[in-house]
Amino acid sequence: MHRRIVITGIGMLTPLGNTTDSTWESLVNGQSGIDYIESFDTSNFECKYGGELKNFNENEFISEKLNRRLDRSSVLALAASRQAIEDSGLNLPFECAERTGIALGTGIGGAHLLIENYEKLKNKGPRRVSPFLITHMLPDTASGLLSIEYGAFGPNLAVTAACATGGTVIGEAYEMIKRDDADIMITGGFEASMQPIYLSAFQSMKALALDDVPANACKPFDLNRSGFTLSEGATILVIEELSSAKKRKAKIYAEVISSANAADGYDMATPHENGRGVSLAIKQSLKKGNLKPEMINYINAHGSGTPINDKVETKAIKSIFGDHAYKLSVSSSKSMTGHMMGATGATEAAIAALVCKEQLIPPTINLQNADPDCDLDYVPNIAKSKDVNYAMSTSVGLGGHNAAIIFKRWENDD
Amino acid sequence: MQQLFLKDGKMMTDKRVVVTGIGMITPVGNSTEETFNSLLNGKSGITKVTLCDTSDIEVKIAGEVKFNPSKYLDNKQQKRMDRFTQFAIIAANEAINDSSLNISKISNEIGVIIGCGIGGLTTLEEQYDVLRNKGPQRVSPLLVPMYIADMAAGQISIQHGVKGPSFDTVSACASGTDAVGTAYEIIKRGDSIAMIAGGAEAAITRLGLSAFRASRTLSIKDNERPEEASKPFDKNRDGFVLAEGASTLILEEKEHAEKRNAKIYAEVVSYSQTSDAFHITQPSENGEGAVRAMQKALLKANIDPEAINYINAHGTSTALNDKNETSAIKKVFSKHAYEIPINSTKSMIGHTLGAAGAIEAAVTVLSVKNQKVHPTINLKNPDEECDLDYVIEGERNIQIEYAMSNSFGFGGHNGVLIFKQYQ
Repeated sequence: MHRRIVITGIGMLTPLGNTTDSTWESLVNGQSGIDYIESFDTSNFECKYGGELKNFNENEFISEKLNRRLDRSSVLALAASRQAIEDSGLNLPFECAERTGIALGTGIGGAHLLIENYEKLKNKGPRRVSPFLITHMLPDTASGLLSIEYGAFGPNLAVTAACATGGTVIGEAYEMIKRDDADIMITGGFEASMQPIYLSAFQSMKALALDDVPANACKPFDLNRSGFTLSEGATILVIEELSSAKKRKAKIYAEVISSANAADGYDMATPHENGRGVSLAIKQSLKKGNLKPEMINYINAHGSGTPINDKVETKAIKSIFGDHAYKLSVSSSKSMTGHMMGATGATEAAIAALVCKEQLIPPTINLQNADPDCDLDYVPNIAKSKDVNYAMSTSVGLGGHNAAIIFKRWENDD
Repeated sequence: MQQLFLKDGKMMTDKRVVVTGIGMITPVGNSTEETFNSLLNGKSGITKVTLCDTSDIEVKIAGEVKFNPSKYLDNKQQKRMDRFTQFAIIAANEAINDSSLNISKISNEIGVIIGCGIGGLTTLEEQYDVLRNKGPQRVSPLLVPMYIADMAAGQISIQHGVKGPSFDTVSACASGTDAVGTAYEIIKRGDSIAMIAGGAEAAITRLGLSAFRASRTLSIKDNERPEEASKPFDKNRDGFVLAEGASTLILEEKEHAEKRNAKIYAEVVSYSQTSDAFHITQPSENGEGAVRAMQKALLKANIDPEAINYINAHGTSTALNDKNETSAIKKVFSKHAYEIPINSTKSMIGHTLGAAGAIEAAVTVLSVKNQKVHPTINLKNPDEECDLDYVIEGERNIQIEYAMSNSFGFGGHNGVLIFKQYQ
């Protein structure tokens, strides 16, 4: 029997809001979450803004003692996963612990702890380095912590694929349920890399958007786009085998139909000019889902706002969808959330699933001047109601990693 | 597409997967042959640290790779790749050559998964110094693409133009095992024809050594006798030795490999993964999570415990791991536990973290192919709680039909692979 997998819980912590509801509300209202950076001094930086979480109190989610040990990234993962589990209606500790696993993605992991301890090493010597550094900075730390916190004995790992991490890890978690290694997976992405070192690095790459008004900086698919905005956050999903979800009468957001990861095999920092990796990921996800391209109604694009990405991604969409490319709607959530790095793919996958549920597409904001190379329906500036049966989320990452994941609208009689 | 389940969860459409190429660069050799020969001869790769200053660090030994990058990589590659990625590229090149696979013919259907726990620590430390001393404008635009742990997989796909699934699996010390296991599942489910799978790590830096030392997991008793420091299952073991390196395997769909008359090392027959859900550093009591991982791997392979003829242990040389792993093996295999030769590759190579599972998977495959296993060195004082057959006398010829490789990571990640002799 073919095992079907559905989304039964979503937890979001984004620059737009500290819950799924508040994030969604900002998205459909076209509000930006980008503002001047408050967590560190940016006077030496050309780019002085990013997407920080607002009014997020770490101690609300974990004890102060634990907080002293944990990296911010782990706190974000814990907070978002708690929301997702509550939302799913699952009871803790998990009833079928051995059939419940955790697979989270991140670009970097414990970036704050690592830098703090490097400072300690430099200033005070090796004996001052924290005994908790190694165990609490790894990309898989949060997956391990969550399994301990919630008693999940099933598969447990992290996936990293740069900016394509989210789609890839949700796809692997989906495959784990499909191949019968688990019935429930807690999966998604998290990142907390709002730090001088990363802002410096992306600024040196000339990848960051520059504008006088922070909220207007990231303008995907616009003629005057100049890059992305660095952000942080976490989005965690509960995905579940259908009969398990039905048995406990869980609320179902959408069905996960298929996912694929493909590589450009081209360059470490620049996407291939024809977007061959993202095209291949889209093509494979359609093939694995046994879908015709015409069946896709909405694509939540990577849409990072860099001159090359948006052009290449548009080209890739046209190469796979042909005339239908002009009939489907495409939007970039990064125009509002900024680029949440390892959390971004998971956030956008959740948004694509919410689009299936709400039949409403959040806009691409800051899209004022049409670029002749970007001529699709990007839902400019105002949300749009649309019948969306199938929605796709695409991600394009440094190193040429690409992911595509497809969701289907859930109808009760399915 | 309707898929029909056969017994034990396998599906009609499942592909079978074999190993057709191996590449290794480790503290005991810069190729597969050199590494496996050193291991058979019981040669340790642990020496005094030369990569960084250890004058104020209590740990002064490590398993370093001794290599000349210019022999393998051009200037541009060296400048744009952190050390862990360089290792991954060298191991992948060897594995691809070894497999004789014509990559360009099926480049869309070959992917890369390289497990790495930490990423480009050398690059991060260097660039953080630049930020501190010279300001943000001087930080390298290549910092992020050189530092992130998935770049080993990314660079292999770039250098060889392969376009299948490409990412990094991270599960601390089990990362390499999960990379090989995930790649196996990708071929098994029909997503790719072949996968370049393995692990890479290069974390012997001042921060790496200081941090592992702080966590009280490294051996410090034998700074003057580096080659004797890693003594898995010995009564006087006092921790692992930090090491670096990479290993990659070419996994290939069985029919495809047979059609092109490829040399086949062994068949991959099972992969399982469980979580202790117990403690962030300590293994669960009596290795409960490890027990479940081994049992699940046997179940997925559809074989009895008695079918296993060899176990390449995680065998880190820490007090807790070796005791718990032994206890877990006894729980899973009962009396048969005493009949299985078990060894620890870490006794000679040290602990290569994210690369360890992949190096040990390669060693297990080579043992199956050659029907011989390497010794566990430095085991001189038996520990009554570690009373199995750890192959202490030297290389041993044995009949292996099924072999198991275990990896257990910080955070309670347990990964197990089972390989079968190919006939």
